Amino acid sequence: MATKAATRILVRDELIGFARSKVMLVLWAVLPALALAGYFLLKDVKLGPGADGAPMPATTFMSMLISSITGTMAALMVAVDLVSERQRKVYELLIIRPVRREVIVWAKFIAVFLSVTIACVISLLLGIGVDAVRGQSLTDEETRGVVRATVTMVTTVGMSAAMGALLGVLARTILVAVLLILYVGQNLAFIPMAPVYFGVFPDRFWLVQLVSVGIIIGALALAGRSFARSQF
Amino acid sequence: MPPPPLVALRGVTKSYYGQKVLSDVSFEIAEGEVFGYIGPNGAGKSTTLKIMAGLITTYEGEVRVGGADVGRDRDRTHALIGFMPQGAGFQNWRTVESALDSLGELSGVPADVRARRIPALLERFDLLKARTKKVKELSGGMTQKLSLIQALLHEPKLLILDEPLEGLDPPSRQLLKDVIRERQRAGTTVLFSSHILSDVEHVADRIGILKAGEVATTGSMRELMTAFDTPIEVDVWFSQAPADLAYLHDPAFGTAALRKPGEWRITLPRGADVDAIIHALVERTLAGGGRLRKIGVAEPALDELFARYILEGGRRGN
Repeated sequence: MATKAATRILVRDELIGFARSKVMLVLWAVLPALALAGYFLLKDVKLGPGADGAPMPATTFMSMLISSITGTMAALMVAVDLVSERQRKVYELLIIRPVRREVIVWAKFIAVFLSVTIACVISLLLGIGVDAVRGQSLTDEETRGVVRATVTMVTTVGMSAAMGALLGVLARTILVAVLLILYVGQNLAFIPMAPVYFGVFPDRFWLVQLVSVGIIIGALALAGRSFARSQF
Repeated sequence: MPPPPLVALRGVTKSYYGQKVLSDVSFEIAEGEVFGYIGPNGAGKSTTLKIMAGLITTYEGEVRVGGADVGRDRDRTHALIGFMPQGAGFQNWRTVESALDSLGELSGVPADVRARRIPALLERFDLLKARTKKVKELSGGMTQKLSLIQALLHEPKLLILDEPLEGLDPPSRQLLKDVIRERQRAGTTVLFSSHILSDVEHVADRIGILKAGEVATTGSMRELMTAFDTPIEVDVWFSQAPADLAYLHDPAFGTAALRKPGEWRITLPRGADVDAIIHALVERTLAGGGRLRKIGVAEPALDELFARYILEGGRRGN
């Protein structure tokens, strides 16, 4: 079977699986709702850029909050699913079919990346909606900040999910996978920022994103290769 | 010239962390044959089957199915093989029907064929009523049947079943044996491992015995009996025993032992003419005033052969 067709089937199945397992409900409804509730609770607290007087726009608040949560969530979703399904011998029934083994891991990544990214977009749209209702429009500077935060959020989700895939393939128990993600995977976001941090590059936003994409591709290639070489 | 075998294993060796699990395993299976693969726990049965199915890819030696090397030409061998792993899992959220549909699609079975074949197989295995049930709600036996169905979806030429009878109740075991026979009649070659030796004996045309990672012998039941140099035994049931039973201890007959009142087992000398001895036993019983209810050759069950082989701990004959 062509890789493309197998990927399509597996991604479709993963998405249906998430939808049925209520993870999607949490991601797409509960998470944005909690973020919104957090905004209304904290909107009068002077935070970040709006601290000099005007309240922080909901869009900015939502993008900050969601980006801090979704990375870990994406990594855990991919890794825990991979370890758990491997332990339950789910992959044996896939591997015996004419499917490239790497595709199984990549499909999981794509499904989680899409689900979490959509959750992020829903949260942002909710923030934009709240700001519109309240008649609070973003300044140009804030709009640029939100765009940059959104792009960073997407690449962070991608990096986290890719690292979750790699650690999920390498770990043999859920506990080990979770610990690796919390203590290793979460520090990954520092890598693309490191050249900026150490002054090697100036703060070139798109260069950092490019490095992030490189890390995603590298982690996925490694995860796919490790999975393909696994003995079941 | 005989047709080439569908399955050929040559010198297959597999080690885990320096410990040999399989050592120079070689055997062949002809097309259309049902081959039973038995061995004690940890002998390497599942490892052999997983190598054949492409789940284990690092090993020494060669495994060919339909002429293709399973290590190199996976696309071709995947299409030829249907594999039922031991304790296979399905995604928990799936229904019985959707699990099969997705696996069938991945096997390249067209949608219209799946739409016909899946209900037919579910019906054959008495799972049609459970088609909308979630896989996680199925009992162990039902999951086992589902696992077998997924192996049949693309109608493979070679069906590899790892402990297919485990966890099944007697009617389901019978059903599975019937299905194996049906598949054989349809031209499918079947290789299956099992601990339930009586079932292997009834279904398999040939049997391979694996011990400590080595195939000790392969052959039909008759060939195995010869290979193990199994003595022939004759059971005699009297409805009325003769007054003098001394003739039973005639060295020409072998060794006689009373099993129950009125029931004797006679172990014949090696190379004895079975027919002649039975004839003589009948004659001398009647001449002694006795009456026979039944007399017959007691062929050892596979369990007995297997236990004997394991206890004797070595390669015999063959």
